[in-house]
Amino acid sequence: MEDIIERLPEMLIGAVTTVELTLLALAFGICLAVPAALARTSRRWWMRVVPYAYIFVFRGSPLLVQMFLLYYGLSQFEWIRSSTLWPILKQPYWCAVIAFALNTGAYTAEILRGGIQSIPKGEIEAARACGMSPGLMMRRIVLPRAFRIAWPAYGNEVIFMLKGSALASTITLLDITGMARSIIAENYLSLEFFGLAGVLYLLISWVFMRILKIVEVHLSAHLAPAPQVPATSE
Amino acid sequence: MNETNASDAALEVIGLHKRFGNIDVLKGVSLSAHTGNVISIIGSSGSGKSTLLRCVNLLESPNEGRIRFDGEELQLKATPAGLVTSNAKQLQRLRAGVGFVFQSFNLWPHMTILENIIEAPIHVKGVPRRDAVASAEALLAKVGLSERRDFYPNHLSGGQQQRAAIARCLAMEPKVLLFDEPTSALDPELVSEVLQVIRSLAEEGRTMLIVTHEMRFAREVSSHIMFLHQGQVEEFGPPSQVFTAPKSERCRQFLENHLN
Repeated sequence: MEDIIERLPEMLIGAVTTVELTLLALAFGICLAVPAALARTSRRWWMRVVPYAYIFVFRGSPLLVQMFLLYYGLSQFEWIRSSTLWPILKQPYWCAVIAFALNTGAYTAEILRGGIQSIPKGEIEAARACGMSPGLMMRRIVLPRAFRIAWPAYGNEVIFMLKGSALASTITLLDITGMARSIIAENYLSLEFFGLAGVLYLLISWVFMRILKIVEVHLSAHLAPAPQVPATSE
Repeated sequence: MNETNASDAALEVIGLHKRFGNIDVLKGVSLSAHTGNVISIIGSSGSGKSTLLRCVNLLESPNEGRIRFDGEELQLKATPAGLVTSNAKQLQRLRAGVGFVFQSFNLWPHMTILENIIEAPIHVKGVPRRDAVASAEALLAKVGLSERRDFYPNHLSGGQQQRAAIARCLAMEPKVLLFDEPTSALDPELVSEVLQVIRSLAEEGRTMLIVTHEMRFAREVSSHIMFLHQGQVEEFGPPSQVFTAPKSERCRQFLENHLN
């Protein structure tokens, strides 16, 4: 117990890294997912090709392999080592963020595509019929509707990303898992510190789930039970 | 088919053809609506009524034909999928000036009734929010939904949703209103509240095309009746003539079946 209390600050620093990695990956992932999902649902085949390939590659291969390729693989290329991006790409932290973002972006794009495709056709027609341009329609009707439909599924993806971020420990990062492993390497208390790591993940995912739920309630006010009808209604 | 000449028509459709696969749904339909005309389009299902209406603002791509709105001809180009606009801005302008009321209302469910109504005026026409809200409130009062302004569509009955959808159209101050079977998705007891709203619009002298199965209503509010049969105009004229002395035998039979 003393060991745990003594090392708790380090584990909490690891927790901060885990949360950081997850949130950065999710933020970049959304930025990738929105254009990918829109292009994926385009009527033009050549618009669908690139996002299809992207989603196929990043959803179809293990996140660990993607991260290793980025971290160990890229440094093989001289032109990458001499590029302006090298200061970022040589850091394990950013390699992890980029790999996670590309991976969650691919999943999120598919989730969002499902959302876009399940918008009733009539709602889109109503937007066209009142003179909306395609861009305006995307911004005001399609994406807001798709996000609402896709939100519960996206919540799953957020939790997967949180847990997936443990892979960052394999490229030297001291997130929750990495920190636990480095502590255990010193004191051999695997049960205690992997147990603590598990508890920290549980706590963080509980907070994430609460936030997701609050957003969901806010986004789906239109699905809540009808408000009380005023007495003087028609 | 109309006595007046084409140029002063608010909306004019010339020689519209529409095929779905190898089925000819419209076989050269022409129609001109002058300001203040209320034209009801009747006919059995499959006669092309809704398709005609949907072709007018290019929700459906016709295969042939011309469309003129407010003295301006729509620029169309032929594609394998039919005629599409070659001037997106022009089409958006036409659509902003032509209100379309759907059978299934098609309100945007994530927005309140008020938000549904102010959406297009603000974002399509650039009306300041305050003005849009003020006119939306006036429209809500007009269709009897003032107390539902902050409700979501899901929380309204079908009749209320359709009245809200009509208010959403009117908010764009359209020159022409198109109604695509506006009461067909409603429970029988909700039909009259919607018809009443449409009737009041007719009395204001608005230009409207109404696809409907409500024969009695069509007879009362319309300036003209168009009877479509297998994609062609089989009968056209004022309701007094079409309902009492139709020239076409098919039209007579159709009315007999629908007026009892």
